[in-house]
Amino acid sequence: MMGGVSHFLILCWFSALVGSFFGVLTRSTFREAFKVGALIALLMVGVSLIIAYVMFFLPLGS
Amino acid sequence: MSSSKEGGRVAAACLLAWVVPGAGHWFLGRRVKAVVFLVLVVLTFTTGVIMKGRVYVANREQPLTYLATFANVALGPLDLIGRRVFYERIIYVFPSESDPMLYQEVMQLNRSKILAVTHEYGTTFVLAAGLMNILLILDVFDIGIGRKR
Repeated sequence: MMGGVSHFLILCWFSALVGSFFGVLTRSTFREAFKVGALIALLMVGVSLIIAYVMFFLPLGS
Repeated sequence: MSSSKEGGRVAAACLLAWVVPGAGHWFLGRRVKAVVFLVLVVLTFTTGVIMKGRVYVANREQPLTYLATFANVALGPLDLIGRRVFYERIIYVFPSESDPMLYQEVMQLNRSKILAVTHEYGTTFVLAAGLMNILLILDVFDIGIGRKR
């Protein structure tokens, strides 16, 4: 948290919007769109957390 | 239907898609998708503006700003709202130092918005909304010419 802003929640919100968009864009039925959208959103959050975890060990610099 | 009429219909659908996100899909009969796209793009854009995201202006010294400005302009009239909120006027090109009053004013507005914690996130949201609308225009084109069912 920084000044009442949750970076993680912003990430989740962004992933949900982008995932929903691509789900509806690439699939024709609601069920398939939901599946693809949820998969994209979860992947975005998951990959971001992995990258964040890896970057934790990188030096901050001078 | 003749090919010129068909071409006109596709062009009209693409233009509508640019003016209002989802309107191209609505025009081509995809009513439910149209509403979902409108809600998603407007929500993404609004979140970006609330987070004090930047709307780009083309700056000769930073060539990548041309691409970012293009992504913003792809939002159609929504982009005008973004520029009005961010710069308090509608500008597309970064003012030169030969106009010191405007230059200083735009720089001051930039500095005040950059101080916000969510500025970079907001900029990403605004850019993403523009890129979504570019994809929607391309999707409408594909549907219009029959490449996509």
